Amino acid sequence: MNRETFIECVEREQEALRGFLLALCCGNRDEADDLAQDALVKAYLACSGFRDGGKFRSWLFKIAHNTFLSHKRSLQTTESIDEARMLVSSSATDSDFEHQSLYLALRTLPPKERSAITLFYLNGYSVKEIAAITETSQDAVKQQLSRGRDKLRERLKL
Amino acid sequence: MTKDKALEELFLAQKPTFDDGAEFMAKLTKRLDAVEYFKQYQERVLRRNRIVMVAAFVVGILSGAVSTAWLLSSPIDTSLFDIQAPTGLLLWIVRNSRILACVCLSTLMVFCTIAFVNNILDIMDMRLKIKEMRIRAEKR
Repeated sequence: MNRETFIECVEREQEALRGFLLALCCGNRDEADDLAQDALVKAYLACSGFRDGGKFRSWLFKIAHNTFLSHKRSLQTTESIDEARMLVSSSATDSDFEHQSLYLALRTLPPKERSAITLFYLNGYSVKEIAAITETSQDAVKQQLSRGRDKLRERLKL
Repeated sequence: MTKDKALEELFLAQKPTFDDGAEFMAKLTKRLDAVEYFKQYQERVLRRNRIVMVAAFVVGILSGAVSTAWLLSSPIDTSLFDIQAPTGLLLWIVRNSRILACVCLSTLMVFCTIAFVNNILDIMDMRLKIKEMRIRAEKR
């Protein structure tokens, strides 16, 4: 894949990728965009190994997911719900999100559960696809989805 | 696995929109340009190092050949120097003084050549950087 083709593919997928990372970053748009840029640079450096037959979006999401996890590991966050509430109410958060309680609830989930839930509900991936993206077993994904769903329902009072 | 309808609706209803796609792509293109620059720079350094290694190898072979020729052409029954108290190791050194001298000379020449070529390349690199900085400063 050459540079032009890569940019064309990214132009098509950038909204989905940014949306995914925005949910993972719980509405922090600047952080999400920085991570998206990092993930895309990594993808560009690795794009010679991408097979044309493969799904570009899934491949991008896989890189973005790994970038997000390493970012989280480097931060070693121990943010509480109160901190999350402060962050969500700040100006850096996504103003398009009317119901910020979803971001608030997402923030209480561990990163892997958050990824699984976002990929399943926001991006519409199947359990098998999520397992491939997050490089875990399908059983582990099912467990993450089940736990995440229960926690979200409890927090959001659904 | 079945989806929780309420959660799915909540996620889909709150799907974010991005109206700064062009800005995002412009920023990405700039970063990709920087990546390309560094990749090219790395390739240049790699190529330069290969040339240095080849040059050092050629010089080493040549100096080795010259030293060996000198060794073979000189009389074999006389050593280069004489030590009055020849114990085990010293005796061995005296006996093999010509070969040892050749090895030391060749090694020294190789190291000197590497250092010399590296210094010249560093100076050229510095000049190039200074030139680039001047051009950037002029543009500003």
